[in-house]
Amino acid sequence: MADWAVEADDLGRVFEVKKRPAVVALSGVSLRVAPGEVHGLLGPNGAGKTTLVKILSTVLLPSAGGARVMGHDVVAETAAVRPLIGIVIGGDRGLYGRLTARQNLAYWAALYRLAPADGRERSEALLARVGLADRGDDRVQSYSRGMRQRLHLARGLINDPQVLFLDEPSTGMDPVAAREFRAIVRELAAEGRTVFLTTHDMAEAEAVCDRVTLIDRGQVLATESPTALSRLASRNERIECAGAGDGVLERVGALAGVERVTVTAESARIHLETEAAVGEVMRWLVAAGVTSVRVTRPSLEEVYLDMVGDRGMGV
Amino acid sequence: MRGLRGAARLQFQIVRADRGYLNEILANPFFAIIFLGIVRAAGRRDLTAYAVVAPVLITLWGMALEISGDIVDSDRGVGILEGVVATPVGFPTVVSGRVLAVTLLSGVAIVETWLVARIGFGVDITVHHPWALLATVVVTGLAAAGTAVIMAGVFVLARTAKTFQNSLNYPIFLLAGVIVPLSFLPGWLRPVGRVLFLSWSADLLRESLAPAAMVDLIPRLGIIVALGAAGLVVGRVVMHVVLTRVRILGTLSFE
Repeated sequence: MADWAVEADDLGRVFEVKKRPAVVALSGVSLRVAPGEVHGLLGPNGAGKTTLVKILSTVLLPSAGGARVMGHDVVAETAAVRPLIGIVIGGDRGLYGRLTARQNLAYWAALYRLAPADGRERSEALLARVGLADRGDDRVQSYSRGMRQRLHLARGLINDPQVLFLDEPSTGMDPVAAREFRAIVRELAAEGRTVFLTTHDMAEAEAVCDRVTLIDRGQVLATESPTALSRLASRNERIECAGAGDGVLERVGALAGVERVTVTAESARIHLETEAAVGEVMRWLVAAGVTSVRVTRPSLEEVYLDMVGDRGMGV
Repeated sequence: MRGLRGAARLQFQIVRADRGYLNEILANPFFAIIFLGIVRAAGRRDLTAYAVVAPVLITLWGMALEISGDIVDSDRGVGILEGVVATPVGFPTVVSGRVLAVTLLSGVAIVETWLVARIGFGVDITVHHPWALLATVVVTGLAAAGTAVIMAGVFVLARTAKTFQNSLNYPIFLLAGVIVPLSFLPGWLRPVGRVLFLSWSADLLRESLAPAAMVDLIPRLGIIVALGAAGLVVGRVVMHVVLTRVRILGTLSFE
C-alpha cells in the first residue's frame, strides 16, 4: 500500500493561449494526502483547483513537476491510476440526459470493465445510497440539478474507487441535499477511501475535511486541518457576546490584554492580545449582566479571506 | 469486450431515445430513388446493382461518420469526454462500440432499398447469395467501427467535427467506387480506391445480387476485415497522439 494516496511535487501547469500571454494555472504545487483522508482544496475562481484535479485524474498533463496517485505516476502510469480513481468534475454535467440513471450507470460500469451483473448490483446500491432508487428509470433530463449531482456522485463511485476526486460537488444542491452529501462523504472516508474535493463552501470544508489546502493564483498558501488554519490566522482567542451595552464594551475595551472591540448589529466581538485575558474579560461581562458569551476562533471563511484577500468578484 | 459491448448498448439506447440519429436511414430511400431513377433514365439496367448497393453503403458509411463525429462533439459538449478518457477502457474502444452499433442498424437500408426498387420502380432485386450479403454487411460494419477511430481522433483535435464530416463523405464514395464503378476512375486513382474497405464491400454486395458464383468470397471478406483492423491500429495510434496533444493543450473539454 502506498504511503500517500495523493502526492504532488512542485507541480506546474501553464496554458498557452494564442496571441496572448501564457496563463500560469499552477506553480510549484506540492501536497500529500494520506489514505482515508478527506482533503479539501479551497480557493477562489481561477485559483487552479480544477486544473489540479484534472492533472491528478489523468485528464490533463502537467507542464512541470510530478504527481502520483496510490503510488502510481499520473503521467507514466495512467493505466494503473485510472481503475483506482473516481472523478466527479463538471458539476451536474457529464451525464446523458436522454437516458435513465440506470442506463447511465450501466455504461460507466462497462467502461470500468465490470461484469453486467456486478454493474447492475453496484448501480442499485449506489442509486439507493444517493436517494435516487425510485427515480432510476426516469430520464436524467427530468432531474433537478441537485439530483443530477447526486447521480454524478454515484457515477464517480461506480468502480468502487480508492481515491475519489470531487470538483465542486455540492454546488447548486439545496441545504438538505448538501447535508446528505456531506454525510455520504464522511461515510466514504469511514470506508477507507480517500476523498479529494474542491469547494468554495467553507462550511462544507469545515464539516467534512480532515485537512484543507488553501490555493490561490496557482500556489499553495497553506495545508492544515481547519482548526489549525484558524490558529494560523489568529493565534489569539476572541470573545463574542450579545446584549452588552456601549458603556460595558467601552470599559472592556480598556482592560489589559484586550486588542480591540468590534460591534455588529447583533453582537460584539472582543479580540484579545493574550489568552490570559480571557478570564478577566469573562468576569467583567458576567458581572455586567451579559449572559450570552462564548469564546471563539476564526471560522475557515475568515481564514480564507485573511489569506486569499477579499477581492470581490475579481479572480 | 465489456467496454465495447457497453458502448454498443449505450448507442442503441441513445438511438432509441433520440430518433435524430436515424436521419441517415430515413434519407436512404431518397438516395435509392435518385440512383434507380438515373439508371432507368439512362437505360442502363446493367448498372442496377450499383444503384441498389450505393444507397446501402452511403447509409452505412454516413452513419459511421455521423456517430464518430457526434461522439466527440456531444460528449465534449456535455462534459462526458474527459470522464471517458479517464476510464480504463479508453476512448478508441468506446468509438468502435458505438459505431458498430449504428452500422449494424444501417443494415435496415438493404430492406428499404429493396422496397423502393420493388414498389417504386417495379424492379425485383433477387439476392442470389444471401449469406455472402449478410457476411459482407457484418464485416463492413466491423471495418467501419475500426476505421471510425481514425476519424474520431481527427475530430478530437478540431473544435467542431461537422466540417470534417461533410468533407469526408462524397470523396470516399467516389474513390471507393460506391457511386460509380472504379473502372470509370482514372487509372492512377484506382489503387487508392482499393485501400478503402468500402470498395471491396461494394464489389461483394453487388456480386451477391448476381446469379454468377462468387469467387474468392472468404479472402475478399478477409481483406475487408484486414483493412478495418489496419484502420483500428492506425486509429489507436492517431488517438493516442491526439489525446496526448489535447491533454497538453487542455482542450479535451471546451468550457
